Amino acid sequence: MNAITRRAVRTALSVLAVGAIATAMASPAFASHVAASTTVPDGGRVGEVLRIAVDLRAEDGTQLPGTTVTFYLHMAFAGVAGEAEIGRAVTDETGVANLAYRPRLAGHHELRMEYATPGDGEVEVITTAFDVTGGEQLYQSAAGIDVPGVDSGLLMAVLALVWSILLWVGFRLVAIARAGSSSSASGPVQTQ
Amino acid sequence: MAALSEWQARLEETALAPIRRTGRRFWLLVAFLLAVIGWGAYAYLVQLRDGLIVTGMRDRISWGLYIATFVFFIGISHAGTLISAILRVSQARWRTPVTRMAEFVTVVALICGASFVIIDLGRPDRLLNVFVYGRWQSPIIWDVLAITTYLTGSVTYLLIPMIPDLALFRDRLGGSTSRWRGWLYRVLAIGWVGNESQKRSLGSAIGVLMILIIPIAVSVHTVVSWIFAMTMRVPWDSALFGAFFVAGAIFSGIAILIVVMAILRRAYHLDEYVTEKHFVYLGYIMAAFAAIMIYANISELLVHGYKLREGVEFHFRQLFLAEFAPLFWFYLIGGLVAPILLVLFPATRNVRGMVVAAGLVVVAMWIERYIIVVSGMRVPLMPYEPRDYAPTWVEWSLLAAGLALFALLITVFTKVFPIIAVWEVAEDHEATIAPHVPESTAAAETPKLAGGVGR
Repeated sequence: MNAITRRAVRTALSVLAVGAIATAMASPAFASHVAASTTVPDGGRVGEVLRIAVDLRAEDGTQLPGTTVTFYLHMAFAGVAGEAEIGRAVTDETGVANLAYRPRLAGHHELRMEYATPGDGEVEVITTAFDVTGGEQLYQSAAGIDVPGVDSGLLMAVLALVWSILLWVGFRLVAIARAGSSSSASGPVQTQ
Repeated sequence: MAALSEWQARLEETALAPIRRTGRRFWLLVAFLLAVIGWGAYAYLVQLRDGLIVTGMRDRISWGLYIATFVFFIGISHAGTLISAILRVSQARWRTPVTRMAEFVTVVALICGASFVIIDLGRPDRLLNVFVYGRWQSPIIWDVLAITTYLTGSVTYLLIPMIPDLALFRDRLGGSTSRWRGWLYRVLAIGWVGNESQKRSLGSAIGVLMILIIPIAVSVHTVVSWIFAMTMRVPWDSALFGAFFVAGAIFSGIAILIVVMAILRRAYHLDEYVTEKHFVYLGYIMAAFAAIMIYANISELLVHGYKLREGVEFHFRQLFLAEFAPLFWFYLIGGLVAPILLVLFPATRNVRGMVVAAGLVVVAMWIERYIIVVSGMRVPLMPYEPRDYAPTWVEWSLLAAGLALFALLITVFTKVFPIIAVWEVAEDHEATIAPHVPESTAAAETPKLAGGVGR
C-alpha cells in the first residue's frame, strides 16, 4: 500500500469517526423534541381519585400548552394482557396535562402516556408507575324506590323468625328426651 | 282383637323386613349404582383437572346440564315435605303410608341438587366466595339461605315423626342387629317411651313443623326461579316465574313420589299398605297440577307472544319450530296432556297407568328445566350469532352419577330407617276400625306402637 492510499484510508476513517461522533451527539435531539416529566401521587387507595400530571416542555424550556396526552394502563384480565386507554388530557398554559383517575384494582399500575410533538407531530412516549392499596367494593347499586323497612334487615328478621321456630322445635326434642329419661328413672315403661 | 293384633304384627314385620333381610339383588343394585357414581367421580376429576372447558358450556351459554339438573332436583324435593305437610295439615288420612317415602325423597333430592351447584362452579373452593363476597341484594344469597333452611327443616321434619318408629326399631331389633344400628336407633329415638309428656311434645313439634315447612318449601323454589327471572334475559323476564316454578316443582315431586312408591312397594312387598288408592289419589293431584302447568304455559307464551318484544320471536322459533322443538313438544304433549288423559281414562286409572304417567312427567319436567336454562341462554343479548350447546360426556356422566346417587341414598335409607310411618299407619287403621268396634273393646285393642300422637 503506497502513501497516497494509506492517507486516503486514514482520511476516510477519520471522516467516518467524526460522523459517528456527531451522530451520537445529535441522537437525543432526534429521539425527543420535548422534555417530559410525570407526577403521580405517592401511593393511593382503590376508589380514591388520583391526579396524574404530565409536564411537557420544549427543548428551550418553554411550556407546551394545547398538546393532547393519551394515558394507557397496562392491564390483565381473564388471561389476556394488554393496554387500556384510561383517558386523555390537554396541557394547559403551564404545559401540564392532568388526568383524574380512580383505580378499580389494588396492586402495581404501569402507565404509558403518548403525546405528539408540536411541529412535526412525531408521537413520543413516557412511562411511569404507581402502587394502589385497598380492596373496597366499589359498585353500589341504587334502589329505584326506597321503601322504608324493605331492606336486608327485613330479610334477616324473617330468617331469624324461621330459625327461632326451628330452635323451638329443637327444644321440644330436648323435652322428649328429658321426659323419656325421667320415665326410665321412675320405672320401666312398656313402649310396645 | 286377635285380628287387630295380627294386623299390627304384620305391619311391624313389614316395616322391619328391609332391615332384617338383605338379598343378593340389593347388593347387585348397590354395586351397579356405586359403579355409576365411580364413573361420575372420574368425570368430575377430569373436570377438576382441565376445568370447565371439558363441558359444552362457554361464555355465551354458561349454564347447561348441571343447572338444569339442580333445578330439577330442587323441584322434586317438593315431593316429600310439601306434599306430606299439605296432606297432614288437611288431615288426609290416606297419606300415612306414603309420607315417609315422600320425606326421604325430599332430603335426598336436596342433597343431590345442592351438589350440582358445586359441580357447576368448576372450582369447588369458589363456593366460599358466596360467603366472603356475597351481597344481601343477590338472589344467589337468597337461594343459599332458602335451601339451607329448607334442608334443615326437611331433615327435622323427616326425623321428628320418625322418633316413635325408631323407638320401635330400637326395642324390636335390640341385640339382633349390628352394633352401629343399635346405637343409631338408640340415639335417634332420644329416649322415646311413649308417655303422655313425650306425645304432647312430639305432637306440638310436628304441628308447628308441618305449617312452617310449607312457606319454606314455597320460598325455596320461588327463589330458585328468581335466579333466572331477576336477570335481563328475554325468555326469563316474567313475574309468573315464581308461581310457575313452584307449581312445576310440586308436579314433578308428586311424579317422582309415585315412581319411588311403585319401586319400594314392589321391592318390599308393601301392597297391603301402599294400595292402588294411593297411586290414584296422587294421580289426581298430579293431573290437577298438570292442568295448572298448562294454564301457566298458555298464559306465559300468549302474553310474551302477543307483545313479541325483541328476542321473543327468536325464542319462540327455537322452541316451537327449530332447535328445541322436539323436546318442547314432548314436554307439552307427553308431559302435560298425556298424564291428564291417563288419569281421566278408567282403563288406565290404576297403578300401572299412574306409574307410566308419573314416568312421563319426570322425564318431561327434566326436559322443561333443560329448555328453560339452555334456550334462555341461547337468545342473543347483542347482535351476535347465537351459539349452540351440546353436553359433553363429562356432563352426561355427572348427570348419571347424580341420578345414581339419588337412587343409592334412597336405597340405603330404606335399609336403615323405617320406610313406613308405623305409628301413623296404626293410628289411621285404628280410626278406620273404631266406628265398627264397641268403645270399650276399641280402647282395649288400641295398638301401642309408640303410643300414637294424634297428628
